[in-house]
Amino acid sequence: MDIIEYENKLINERVYEKKLSNGLKIFYMPKQGYTKQYAMFATNYGSNDLKFKSNSSNTMYNTPKGAAHFLEHKMFEEPEGNSFDRFANRGANVNAYTNFNTTAYYFTSTDSFYENLTDLINFVQSPYFTEENVEKEKGIIAQEIKMYDDNPDWKVYFNLLKAMYNDHTVKNEIAGTVESINKITKDDLYNCYNTFYNPSNMAVFIVGNLDKDKIFKTIEDAFKSISKNQDSIIIEKYYPDESESINKNIIEESMSVSSPLFYVGYKDTDLKLTGNKLLGKEIELRLLLDILFGKSSELFEILYNKGLVDDSFGGEYSGGINYGHCIIGGKSKEPKTVLNIINDYIDRKLETGLMKENFERIQKKQIGQCLNQLDSIEFVGSSFISYLFKDINFLEYIDVLNNITFEKVEKRFKNSFKGEKQVLSIIK
Amino acid sequence: MNKLKSEEITKNIFLHTFKENKFKTNLINFYFKRPLNKEEVTYNAILPMVLQRGTNVYKTSKDLVKKLEHLYGAHISGGVTKKGERQIIRFSMSIANENYVDDSNVLYEGLELLNDIITNPILNNGVFLNDYVNQEKENLKNKIKGRSNDKMKYAVDKCVEIMCENENYGIYEYGNIHDLQKITSESLYNHYRKVINNSELDVVVVGNTDHDKIKEILLEILDINISNPTSTEYRIEEVIPTKIKEVEDEMEVNQGKLTLGYRTNIPYYDNLYPALMVYSNVLGGGANCKLFRKVREEYSLCYYIFSRLEKYKSLMLISSGIEIENFNKAKDVIKKQLIEIEKGNITDKEMDYAKKNIVNSIKQLKDTPHDLAEYIYGQIISKSIEPLEKLIDKIESIKTEQVIEVSKNIKLDTIYFITNKR
Repeated sequence: MDIIEYENKLINERVYEKKLSNGLKIFYMPKQGYTKQYAMFATNYGSNDLKFKSNSSNTMYNTPKGAAHFLEHKMFEEPEGNSFDRFANRGANVNAYTNFNTTAYYFTSTDSFYENLTDLINFVQSPYFTEENVEKEKGIIAQEIKMYDDNPDWKVYFNLLKAMYNDHTVKNEIAGTVESINKITKDDLYNCYNTFYNPSNMAVFIVGNLDKDKIFKTIEDAFKSISKNQDSIIIEKYYPDESESINKNIIEESMSVSSPLFYVGYKDTDLKLTGNKLLGKEIELRLLLDILFGKSSELFEILYNKGLVDDSFGGEYSGGINYGHCIIGGKSKEPKTVLNIINDYIDRKLETGLMKENFERIQKKQIGQCLNQLDSIEFVGSSFISYLFKDINFLEYIDVLNNITFEKVEKRFKNSFKGEKQVLSIIK
Repeated sequence: MNKLKSEEITKNIFLHTFKENKFKTNLINFYFKRPLNKEEVTYNAILPMVLQRGTNVYKTSKDLVKKLEHLYGAHISGGVTKKGERQIIRFSMSIANENYVDDSNVLYEGLELLNDIITNPILNNGVFLNDYVNQEKENLKNKIKGRSNDKMKYAVDKCVEIMCENENYGIYEYGNIHDLQKITSESLYNHYRKVINNSELDVVVVGNTDHDKIKEILLEILDINISNPTSTEYRIEEVIPTKIKEVEDEMEVNQGKLTLGYRTNIPYYDNLYPALMVYSNVLGGGANCKLFRKVREEYSLCYYIFSRLEKYKSLMLISSGIEIENFNKAKDVIKKQLIEIEKGNITDKEMDYAKKNIVNSIKQLKDTPHDLAEYIYGQIISKSIEPLEKLIDKIESIKTEQVIEVSKNIKLDTIYFITNKR
C-alpha cells in the first residue's frame, strides 16, 4: 500500500503514513540529530470505554471500571517472565499508560531500534492472562489507586468531573476503584483485548533518526509471524446519555493540605465535532482561557495582588468527542471568594468584550509554546496519537492555531461560561 | 563534550554554550552559586520570587508577562535547588528560535529582559517595594507550609532532613517560616547586592545559537560586576551511623509512605562512584531491578518503588508506597535485597541491564535542553567537564566485584514512615 507524506514547512517537520492490510496505521516522524528513538503502539480504547460490542462476537460487554488500565498492566505478562527483560537487554525503557480514550505502550531507545520495535508489536499482540496472574495484580493496582487517593491535585480534578457529569464514564477514575478492580476476571481482560487490540483499532507512531522503509517492513514482518486472526473489526462503543446539565454545583472534600486547592469547571455542550472542527474548538478555548485567566489577565493581577491565588492559577480546556470542559483553578485560602470574583469578572467582560491586542499577543505566545513542545519527542508522541484517535493530524496544530481569528474566539466566549454549567471542586 | 564551549567572558562570569541545531527553542540558564546555610537560605529562596515581580522597565508582573508573550511565549522561571551543601539560585529562560518565528530580534530582546529581571529591579527609596516583598513572603510561607501536600516527595525530603539534621544538607532549600518573618525590603535588598556582586555565576545556553553571538550580547547588556565570589566549598565527610534512626509521622493518608535513607560514603569524585551508580540501578533502577521484582512483582506490596542517589552528598534513598500494615514486611524485603548484593548474588544479566539502562539515559540527555543544561552545570560544579562518552565508558567497564565493593560502604541511617492517624 502507498505511503502518504504530510509536510509542514513552517515547523520543518514531516510525517509518513502507511496503512497495512490488517487496518493498522503506522506513522513515522523523522527527527534529524536526535539520539533518542521512540515508538508508541496504541489502541483507541481507554477508561471511558466500559460498554461495547463488536461484529466479531456480537455480545454486548459491560466491564468493571478500570478494565482498560488493568489490561495495560497485564499486557507485560508472558508465560516465562515479562516483556521488560528483552527491552532491558538492549538498554531500552518500555512503559505504558492509560487515559480516558487511549491505552499506549511505548519505548525509548538509543540503539537496536528495529529489534525493540518487533518486540513492542509482539508483546502487545500476545496476551497471556491466567486466573493466578490476574489475582496477583490486584494488590499492585490497589496500591496505585491509593497512591492517587493521597494526591490532592488528582482528587480535586476527579471530584470536579464527578460534579460535572451525571452519567458519562469520564467521571470514573482511570484505574477504577479497589472494589471494581476486584471484580475483574481473566475473561473480562480477554474480551476487552479481543475487541480493542485488533490492529484496525490501533496505531503506531515512531520518532527518531531512522529508516522509513525499514520501519514499515519491520512492522509488517512482525504481524506476518503472529498467527492469529487479523480480520478488521467494527466496534460499537456505548456511553450513557449525558444530560447537558451538571450533576452537582459543588464537591468539597477534606484531605491533609496546608491551603485549599480548587477547580472551577464549565461543562462544554458543543459536542460531537471531529477532525479540524474539534481541534479548532479546542484551540479557540485555549486562547480564550489564556486571555481571560492567564498570567497577563486583569483577573490574575487582581487575585494575585489580593493574595487570593498564587502562580499555580490558570485555565485549561480538555475534552474528547463526546465530552469536554473548561477548568480554571489553583490554590487559594478562599476558593469561594475567588469564585465570586470570577463570576463578576466574566459578567463584566461579557459586557465590555475582549480586546484584540490581547488575542494577538496570546496567539503569539501559544505559537511559541507549540514550538517548545515540538522539542520533546515524548510530548509529540502522546499528542499525535491522542489527536489521531479524534481524526486530527497533530502536524496541523500550529496552522489551525495561526488561522484562528479574533471573531471566532469572541463568539466562543459568548457561549462557554454559562452559570448553570458551572461547578466547583474544593480540597481543603 | 565537543560541542560545549566554555569561557570566562568577563571577570567571574562564565559562559557555557552547547550548540544543537535540532532544537526549535533556545534555553538560557543563569546559575548563581551560594553556600547552603541557615543564615541565607530563606533570603536566597525569596529573592527570585521578588525579582520576577517587576523591573524599572516592566514595573509589574503583568507588564513582564505581556512582554514575554510578545516574545512568542518566552518562558522565564526562577527558583532555588540544592547541590550538596550549596544552594543554587537559577533563572531560566526558554525562547523560540528566530528561525521559526517572524521576529529576528527575539533572542536579543529575551536576554535583555532576563538581564532586566536579574539586575534592574524596581526600587523605592533604594530598596525593594514593600508590597512585592510582603506578597512574596506570603507566597513563600504558603509554599513552605504546603510541602507536605505531596506525600510521596515529602517522605523522601523529610527522611533526608532527619538523616542530616546536624549537617547543612538537612536544610530545606526554600528556608523556614521563622526566618522568613524577619525579612524586610531593606535586608532583602542588601542580601541581593551581595548575591549579585559576590557569587560565582555560570550561564549555560543550549540551542541553535553561536557562542560568540551570545557572548557579544551578554557583554553588551549584562550589568553585573562580580568581585570576591563567596566560597561555596564544603567537605564531604564520612558518616558512619552509630544507630539507625526510626521516625514515624501520622497524617491523613490512605497509603503508608516508606523511605529508607542510606549513607554511601562514596563521594562523586571517588573512582568507585560509577560503580555506585550501577549498584543503585541494580537495586532500584528500572522494571528489572531487585526491588521492583521482589517487592512489587513477587510480593505485590507496592505500585512504585525506587532507589536514587544524592550525588553531592553521598546518600541513597529508597522510597515506596505500601499498605500501612505491611510496614515491617516491606522493610524486611527491601533490606534483604541489599544483603543479596553484598553477598554477591548479582546475575550477569542484572549487571548488564543496569549498565545499559544508565548508558541509555546518559545518551538521551542530549535530546532534552533542560536535562542537558543541568548535566553541564553538574559537571561545572564537580569541576570535571568530561564528554558523555567518557562517562559511558566508565559505566560500561564496571565489574560485579566493584558493585559488591560498593555494598560494603552502604549503611542504613534513617527509616522514615508516614502512617495514618489512628
